[in-house]
Amino acid sequence: MTVLPLAVALLGLAAIVAFVAAPLVRRGSQGSAPADENLPVLERRDRALAALRELEFDHRTGKITDADYRALLGRLRTEAAEALQAVGPAEGAG
Amino acid sequence: MAELGRDALLGTLALALYAAVVGGYAAARGHRALGQSARNALLAAFATTAVACGVLVLAFAREDFSLVYVAQHSSRELPLPYALAALWSGESGSLLLWLLVLTGMSAVAVLCNRPLVADVLPWTVPILGGISAFFVLVPVLAASPFATQAAPADGAGMNVSLQNPYMLVHPPLLYLGYVGLTIPFAFAMAALASRRTDERWLHATRRWTLASWTLLGVAILIGAKWAYETIGWGGYYAWDPVENAALMPWLAATAFLHSVMIQEKKAMLRVWNVVLVSLAFCLSLFGTFLTRSGVVNSVHSFSRSSIGAWFLIFIAIAAAFASFLILTRLPTLRARSRLESLVSREAAFLYNNLLLVAFALTVLWGVLFPIVSQALRGETFTVGPPYYDFFLRGFGLPLLLLMAVGPLIAWRRASVRSLLRGLRWPLVVALAAGAMLLEAGAGSSPPGLLAYTFSVFVLGGIVLEFIRGTRARKALGARTWPGAFVSLVGRNRRRYGGYISHAAVVMLAIGIAGSSAYSSSASARLQPEQTISVAGYSLRYDGTTFHPGRNHDELRAHLAVFRGGRADGIVSAGKNNYHVESFFSNAVAIRTDWLRAQDLFVIAQQFNRDGSVDVKVVVNPLVDMIWFAGAVFLVGSLVAMWPDAREKRRHPRRAFAVGIASA
Amino acid sequence: MSAGDPIRLVVALSVAGMLAVFVLYTSIAGGATPSLRPSQLAGHHGNVALVGQVVGPVHGDAEGTGMRFDLTDIGGGAAVPVVYRGSVPDLFAVGRHVFVSGRLHDGVFVAKPGSLVTKCPSKYTPAKGGAA
Repeated sequence: MTVLPLAVALLGLAAIVAFVAAPLVRRGSQGSAPADENLPVLERRDRALAALRELEFDHRTGKITDADYRALLGRLRTEAAEALQAVGPAEGAG
Repeated sequence: MAELGRDALLGTLALALYAAVVGGYAAARGHRALGQSARNALLAAFATTAVACGVLVLAFAREDFSLVYVAQHSSRELPLPYALAALWSGESGSLLLWLLVLTGMSAVAVLCNRPLVADVLPWTVPILGGISAFFVLVPVLAASPFATQAAPADGAGMNVSLQNPYMLVHPPLLYLGYVGLTIPFAFAMAALASRRTDERWLHATRRWTLASWTLLGVAILIGAKWAYETIGWGGYYAWDPVENAALMPWLAATAFLHSVMIQEKKAMLRVWNVVLVSLAFCLSLFGTFLTRSGVVNSVHSFSRSSIGAWFLIFIAIAAAFASFLILTRLPTLRARSRLESLVSREAAFLYNNLLLVAFALTVLWGVLFPIVSQALRGETFTVGPPYYDFFLRGFGLPLLLLMAVGPLIAWRRASVRSLLRGLRWPLVVALAAGAMLLEAGAGSSPPGLLAYTFSVFVLGGIVLEFIRGTRARKALGARTWPGAFVSLVGRNRRRYGGYISHAAVVMLAIGIAGSSAYSSSASARLQPEQTISVAGYSLRYDGTTFHPGRNHDELRAHLAVFRGGRADGIVSAGKNNYHVESFFSNAVAIRTDWLRAQDLFVIAQQFNRDGSVDVKVVVNPLVDMIWFAGAVFLVGSLVAMWPDAREKRRHPRRAFAVGIASA
Repeated sequence: MSAGDPIRLVVALSVAGMLAVFVLYTSIAGGATPSLRPSQLAGHHGNVALVGQVVGPVHGDAEGTGMRFDLTDIGGGAAVPVVYRGSVPDLFAVGRHVFVSGRLHDGVFVAKPGSLVTKCPSKYTPAKGGAA
């Protein structure tokens, strides 16, 4: 009864040490992750496209008057076009 | 066995400290291997905590009273499920369960968000490690559950009011909810620390926030039901500090869930969101502090314990840490657009946020009032239910109104004319309902009448939203009406799940207003064959029985129920005598009229020597709407949480775009 | 939050103002009642919440003419006689710590019906959110 817990504890300790130390032994780290300048641009694109979809749906469900709809549509389309252009041809398809 | 538990806890402490210190160093220096090692330490901390919990549960199962904690919270006669639940019936065991949930959630959170936020995770690990280290430090240093003694013949038993099936689910759910709020906090702080304050931390934690908010809400409701059924005063929520302790983070999390949507749509409120998530986390810590410290008089917290000071220090550290990070990272959190109009969906969200936070802070003020008045005036003043009820109406009714109007306003900019046109039908229905209720006599309570009219307004708006949306979907090419409906909900689970949750809140409001504004009660001393009448019910006292039992004896008064002259069964209310605990408790009788969601609530206050019994009878109209609301709330959250394939496709692409998908 | 957004500032200020008024209102207009120990009771004739320890004997009938008992400070001290009507909580017994609200009347603390609340005995340390 006194030996068993000790053995279990030691075994557990060994397993934990091995698990925690494993990444250090297996070297070959590639440094930190690269910067993310592109991310705000992507977010802007997704947001602009979502806003267009939302506007369309709000108009269809009658939450927005035709005049407001037309005024906003032009602006949101310009925004979306700019956002898509900023993302560039590779990712632009969204 | 106790040594194994102690060793395991020490192991958790070492691992959590390692994750915090080494992980922090690795994140600051961009050292990847060390960071992974710290992450593994955090995962291993869950394993060691699980071992410690297992040891304690096993000790309860084996009735090993050589552990002080087991002896204090269990007895030989205690049924096994309660003996196992006794793990969380006391302070140090509760902390252990808390730690288990925390390390478990941390492990899942760092494992399942890897691709999305790979550059934020190195900071998440040390933050979660630091929080875990605190929660393991307390049971190790101040309140060990593994203290041993010479085993007494029997344990002291479990607090009788805890011997209830709700005990098995309420505390764990509450912990899951409280602790779950740690994850969004940790990710927010990590995003700030790494200066990656884009939206990814919101995407990574959205479901965590939603899940913990749901669990917290359900736990509060289950706690209310528990109180309703066992405490026996006919109510379910008494604005007790400990109940408020769970309500405050729930309110803050509700505000957060709403404001997150504005950040996603408009890149606004970015500072506000990190403030809200920190507030929710600190309030959840504060809740634990309240229950544990005994600084505030509550029905719950009576053991003045030494760990209160620990929590206070930790809350101070957490708040200082969050403030420091937010202030130093302010430039990265600039809004990228502005509020365009005061009449728009985002403005409605903003008002909702202000009201929710204002309500949470008023509750906080009420809870702190005794401490503040003691410090300032040398005399302890307490604020009671009237204070809270006042603010519940003051903030709750406008919130209901916003809930009706908000979903029907367009984003960005809405003209008042189109808004009024959209609100026409719900408004007509609500006013008609209000007039009908007034006619039916609901005017006896103006706030109640107002709450009902607003509730109908909200429900009308929700139904209208579903109808219009389905119609639009049909027009866009869905073949059948049900098909259009399914596609509507499926394409925007968050929105329509949210509307279902709104319906749940309305049901809650109906239940609360009904049972608080329109309940009626009577009490009397009844000799056999005498009757008592209240709100259309008559109850005839038919006699008393006594059933001895192993854990407790049951004394019951039987009353025959009559409604409108017709016999409607028998209710039995009485008292239980618990042997080991040498304690009497009330066993109330509740008869539910499901059709009207109305409860007949009978308390046998006192059995007299001459054979008479003192009974109190309460009729609570609509109280069952509160419990239905819980189920609807759960459905709404599940709809909103359900995995969305399109969302999944978009996020890895963003991760790929920053060149970290390979990590 | 963008500093230059005047709308947001207005909304925030108005809500903060509203809140301040409400809080002032409740703290001045007597939304709060003092919570006292029995030894502090002398001289208070308004509504107070009394926190103390029950000293026997408990006699009388809470459902009828009223239950009578004494309350002292927790740990001992001068006793205040209390008369109470209404429901008696499960945990009520001699030696327990209780809250009761009411007012002092000719040297007797007359409790509001149904205001008696017991604190859990120190033997138990109920779970957080325990018996609500």
